[in-house]
Amino acid sequence: MAVVEFQGKTFEVDEDGFLQRFEDWTPEWVDYVKDTEGIKELTEDHQKVIDFLQDYYKKNGIAPMVRILSKVTGFKLKQIYELFPSGPGKGACKMAGLPKPTGCV
Amino acid sequence: MAFISSGYNPEKPMENRITDIGPQHFTEFLQPVIKKNFGKWLYHEIIEPGVLLHVAESGDEVYTVRAGTARLMSVTMIREICDVADKFCDGYLRFTTRNNVEFMVETKEEALNLKKYLNEQKFEQGSYKLPVGGTGAGVSNIVHTQGWVHCHTPATDASGTVKATMDAVFDHFTDMKLPAPVRIAMACCLNMCGAVHCSDIAILGVHRKPPMIDHQYLDNLCEIPLAVASCPTGAIRPSKVEIEGTQYKTVAIKEERCMFCGNCYTMCPSLPLSDSQGDGVAIMVGGKISNRITKPAFSKVVVPFLPNNTPRWPEMTEVIEKILTAYSEGANKYERLGDWANRIGWERFFEVCDLEFSEHLIDDFRDPAYYTWRQTTQFKW
Repeated sequence: MAVVEFQGKTFEVDEDGFLQRFEDWTPEWVDYVKDTEGIKELTEDHQKVIDFLQDYYKKNGIAPMVRILSKVTGFKLKQIYELFPSGPGKGACKMAGLPKPTGCV
Repeated sequence: MAFISSGYNPEKPMENRITDIGPQHFTEFLQPVIKKNFGKWLYHEIIEPGVLLHVAESGDEVYTVRAGTARLMSVTMIREICDVADKFCDGYLRFTTRNNVEFMVETKEEALNLKKYLNEQKFEQGSYKLPVGGTGAGVSNIVHTQGWVHCHTPATDASGTVKATMDAVFDHFTDMKLPAPVRIAMACCLNMCGAVHCSDIAILGVHRKPPMIDHQYLDNLCEIPLAVASCPTGAIRPSKVEIEGTQYKTVAIKEERCMFCGNCYTMCPSLPLSDSQGDGVAIMVGGKISNRITKPAFSKVVVPFLPNNTPRWPEMTEVIEKILTAYSEGANKYERLGDWANRIGWERFFEVCDLEFSEHLIDDFRDPAYYTWRQTTQFKW
């Protein structure tokens, strides 16, 4: 597995750039990923989505369904795509350090 | 090759981004006679295997020449198909829902010339490039999946099994001598992408061993509740293991409840289950999707396992040939394979096809299994 070094931290990632271990997540990870995800400036809205994804994952062991993400954060799917151009899975979950989405994707 | 930009600017990914334009409208590519007579067709007939005639109210005629393709093909092959279309059909062509290619011309003479030309095109090794056929009561192309070419959950290969099967039934592709069309479909795992659950004959990749569990990685790579919920038989539960002094969150699998569907691997990369000896193919028969005479039907498993004997799957093609032969000899005109088996009774089907009936074929999945057992004294010895 590839190892990424960024601002003095090291992250183990897979070929799609997802973090291998949720525990390895640090705020630097978000800074590192945002460039590849087409995000210029990190806003409070970005942080709100990331925080919710992490809370939900810690509590439930899964990523929330898109409708739950929308309902709790108050962002419609369209707004989530505006924040994270790759979408809630490839974009937001990757930045939040959640495991890579699986199934027929 | 060195990098060549398409004009996309990775610094500004959303700039000049075109999105949500959908596919091009099909009318842009309609052959002129078809465009002119759109929605005004009177009748059609099959001139000979692989050649159709459609006659419009205006009297216009369109001849269609249908040719088989391997579905998985190179750009070179597509260009060759385009060359054929340029040479004979003013650049028009279409692909069918079974991945055959159709060329449209306006006279019978042109159509027969085209058929002759297509049947002369061969690959270096001798295979037909574009064999003409696939019409009427024969065997058309096999709807199939990715297999070992591209997918990560297959139990068998798609292109390989399909080539072996089409070679075995090739005469039925170029001829129309069966009682009714026989649709063969192939799926490389029981996700059943495509049409195996509703085809006259279906080839399905199956596993026979439960998943292995990568305990040390599972919690990192998987959302455990999803893996638990993915199991149709409730064989998976969350658990903890200790390896070299470290505790890991993981899952436990009750092997006697596992039927090797592989759904949990789809959801969780730490539960791989493919196995060169365990994996193979099952054969199903009797499905259809049309409403003609009888209602649409699911196909039923008749052979629970045949080995993955690469590269030609001889056991599999032998079974398919046996079923096809028994069907073509036994069925009445217009009778699909499933209609025939239902008429003569499934015990007779196993007898005439010379297939072994084993306990694997008896449904045991939840309440509906009961309805597949025989609740009558009506049967033949």
